Amino acid sequence: MKKVSVSEQGLVEKAKRHAAAVGVAMKESVTPLTATVFYPRERKKMPDNFRGYLLFDPEKCINCWECAFICPANAIQMKKAPAPNNRFYPTVDYGKCIFCHFCIDSCSGGALRTTKIHDVAYREMGEMLTLTEEMIEPPEIIREDKKSVEYEIEKDDLHLKRTREVDGLFVEPTPPVEIPMVSQCVDRASCLGCRVCEEVCESGAISSSSAEGVLEAEGVLRMKIDIEKCTGCGLCVKECSMQILRLVRRGK
Amino acid sequence: MQIQIQEAVNQIMSAVASNQVNVPLLQPILDLVAQIPMAGFLVSFVLWKPFFAALICPGLSTLGILLLVFPWVERKLCGRIQWRVGPHEIVWWLGGLPQIMADSVKFLFQEVIVHKDADRPYYLQFPFLSFIAALLPLLFISAGNIIAIETPYAIQLMLALICLFPLFILGLGWASNNRFSFIGTVREAFMSFAYEIPFIIAVLAMIVLYGTSNPLQMSSTGGLLEWGLFRNPVAAFTFFVAAAMATSRLPFEIAEAEQELAAGPHVEYSGISFGLIYVMCYEKAYILSGLMTILFLGGGSGPAISGLGDLSGAVWFLAKTVVVMTTLFALRTIYPRYRLDQGLKIGWGAMISLSLVALALSVVIVLVQGGIGGVEGVV
Amino acid sequence: MAAVAAETTTGQSEWEVAVPEKPLKEKVYFENLKAQVIDTELCSRCLTCAAVCPALPEGITLTADDKVGFPDYEEKCLDCGACVRVCPRFEYEPKSGLGEYTDFIAGQSKRFKGQDGAMVTELIVSAIEMGLIDRGLFVGRDNRWATNIFHVRDPEQLAITTLGGTKYTFASVLPELKRAVLLTKSGVGVVGTPCIVSGVRKLQQEFPIFREKVKLVVGLFCTENFHHTEISDYLQKKGVDFSKLVKTDITMGKFIATMTNKTVKFKVKALEKILPSGCNVCTDFTAVEADASVGSVGSAAGFSTVAVRNENARRVVEFIKKRGYADFGEGKPEELAFLVGHKKKRAENIPGFQDQEDK
Repeated sequence: MKKVSVSEQGLVEKAKRHAAAVGVAMKESVTPLTATVFYPRERKKMPDNFRGYLLFDPEKCINCWECAFICPANAIQMKKAPAPNNRFYPTVDYGKCIFCHFCIDSCSGGALRTTKIHDVAYREMGEMLTLTEEMIEPPEIIREDKKSVEYEIEKDDLHLKRTREVDGLFVEPTPPVEIPMVSQCVDRASCLGCRVCEEVCESGAISSSSAEGVLEAEGVLRMKIDIEKCTGCGLCVKECSMQILRLVRRGK
Repeated sequence: MQIQIQEAVNQIMSAVASNQVNVPLLQPILDLVAQIPMAGFLVSFVLWKPFFAALICPGLSTLGILLLVFPWVERKLCGRIQWRVGPHEIVWWLGGLPQIMADSVKFLFQEVIVHKDADRPYYLQFPFLSFIAALLPLLFISAGNIIAIETPYAIQLMLALICLFPLFILGLGWASNNRFSFIGTVREAFMSFAYEIPFIIAVLAMIVLYGTSNPLQMSSTGGLLEWGLFRNPVAAFTFFVAAAMATSRLPFEIAEAEQELAAGPHVEYSGISFGLIYVMCYEKAYILSGLMTILFLGGGSGPAISGLGDLSGAVWFLAKTVVVMTTLFALRTIYPRYRLDQGLKIGWGAMISLSLVALALSVVIVLVQGGIGGVEGVV
Repeated sequence: MAAVAAETTTGQSEWEVAVPEKPLKEKVYFENLKAQVIDTELCSRCLTCAAVCPALPEGITLTADDKVGFPDYEEKCLDCGACVRVCPRFEYEPKSGLGEYTDFIAGQSKRFKGQDGAMVTELIVSAIEMGLIDRGLFVGRDNRWATNIFHVRDPEQLAITTLGGTKYTFASVLPELKRAVLLTKSGVGVVGTPCIVSGVRKLQQEFPIFREKVKLVVGLFCTENFHHTEISDYLQKKGVDFSKLVKTDITMGKFIATMTNKTVKFKVKALEKILPSGCNVCTDFTAVEADASVGSVGSAAGFSTVAVRNENARRVVEFIKKRGYADFGEGKPEELAFLVGHKKKRAENIPGFQDQEDK
């Protein structure tokens, strides 16, 4: 065990410090600083990447479930949307959400985006489970604020800077950075030749020599991925039963 | 027979009339009231100095107002120093003053719970006893030239009564029969020994310095440079720190220790009995600040305020007392709480040395200024 | 290995797949398989075809009577030929005899308790401890004695008592093996009857991923195996209560079902009417193609016979010896002669076998 020791100071140094403390107390008792934001009447200006209420755009959702997989609080559950498209969309339980926004970071389509809304009120616990259709539009907002407030730090002191402007609550989402990927076969010898990849490929990039008569004539099946046509969607990678297809970075 | 009674009444009346608080500003109104037979007698009785001192200033009424207002003042002051300025929503234009009403009503009407294990008679008695005991030193405090009981041993009597306070705190902790209150009690006992000795020696130093222990004579020494604070600053410092320890507030809140002992000796109390204990520390602070004003700040001395007469000294006395109290309470925002061992180390180490230095300084000053004269107050 | 690693980083955009020949030109491959293997009653129900079949959502699978089948193959079959490529009996080369072995020993595990010497468990667990494999596939059973497959990744999992012991029932080991191969990091160990072992070898021959990942194949001595539905019906008729059944065993030509309160014994011959057609044409008793073959015949009571056939298995056995996990004794290959011969005789049941003999 190591004993924690206090740095030894001389009497004069000690007295100086006591005097400084008393001085600060006297100064503050006369002209106190305040860091209080008068919340309903004014709002703190939030940064654009503030982690607030989530909005969802089903048009951009690619149904990858990544948000539900990554959610550490298990707040996001995928619910099947009604017909016609039968896809699964996220629902957020704000009773569990810890506002880490991993979901937004993981959303490759940019369907989920943040807002600066941090003050949603619910009447009961059940309401906190926000369904997909409720996430498309922001909740009803009653704004009483006329000013926005920012903290400014000058030397040791903190100041509040008030401006007569109303801060916007919605942030334009930054478009997701697309990493150009392309599907490639990494273990051609293990290929079954089932052509499931060709079947699922929506852009027609995968082709095979399975036309009538060709197979019989050659005795081999030729598979080809057209790199120019491949969009890097990963559908073939997902469907390959031998898992021999991978997405690799394009142009390497 | 009737004549004898009449004579006795007349004697009392003349005694009362000869020792009146003289306030020129109020004299016309008093003259008017004197026309009414009974009221005139009552008013003159109220204005009779000993009665006025005990009941109005510096006695019960002043104390009552301070007890009501000071928790609020303390909160406001600490709030400002610690950037907790408020309230912003409810009666912000009064600074949330109605809170003190709410507090009083709460204390008065809350149920007093006596738990099963407590020693019921003592548990109920001690808060009241301690409050009353804390009132007694008020009789010897002089506001200007207003004093309830004038005696050459006033300071010594006050010291004796002040040193009685911890006894009741120990009593209530013991009667609570609870491990937290018991630990708090033991800590209180430790601390009371630690601060009482330097406290008494510091007061002794001032008695030696003044050559008297009559507060009226002490405070009549006018002039700023004649204040005890400037004549013996060491004693003043020692007295102030000992007073901070005696009020057992931060940084010496060792007995209560909110964080680990809940509330120390009075953890079990509720309702008005808790209220009495709660205000008792403000009461203590008032008495110790009053004593400090008398000993070190020239008592009620100051430029006479025209029209107030005898009340001028009382106003000065109260103003100084309030300043000392405020300083005492502001300490909690500057220093964190000491541990018990640190508190004891301060009390038994630095404080005793400082008080002895203060005593020596007083003796030297008195010797230098020429002989010890008129020290009949010193035992 | 280096070549494979290089491929993994870059990948290929063009490749070729050798397509097997179709005996029936106009039909899809599954129909070929059906005609050549299933309908001729050659199918051993090893499920190698089901393991690789890529058809979605469900390709080659088991039918209600525990046979290999493919509902709606006319629509769903992708005609890729994978099943034909891996089927060990599409071009059936019956193997028999004791096979090649480097050591023929008897062993008794000190750590595990089993029907005999618990050497199968010992081999797989020791391989996991060596780091040769990271999971072993064991066949467990439910309370109706229907089989299910367990991935054993830690010796502690073997506290499940239903993992050991013979079940005399077919299990779907190979479809699970494919899943294990795709999951594993270092390798997979698998236990199976001779038909399953030949299925594994066929997979390894066709697909490098199996060659790379399946590190230890433990074969079991096998005279025959039964469809679960049939053997459970039969045993119930004989008065076996599955809730009390502890173990099943065949010794000295007798089937012994041990229950908590009694034992039921009857001659194995009686089971011949429910003998699966696949076993009827199987000539392999000792799992000739396995890395190591284990069985009870050929060693003293309480010991398991282990035929070590190649380097991987030999390393595992040496590891066991070094750590002293098991007692070892001499194996007696000659004791197997009768059963080997018994199975060899089944070659007569193979259609066209007589013709080959004649040639």
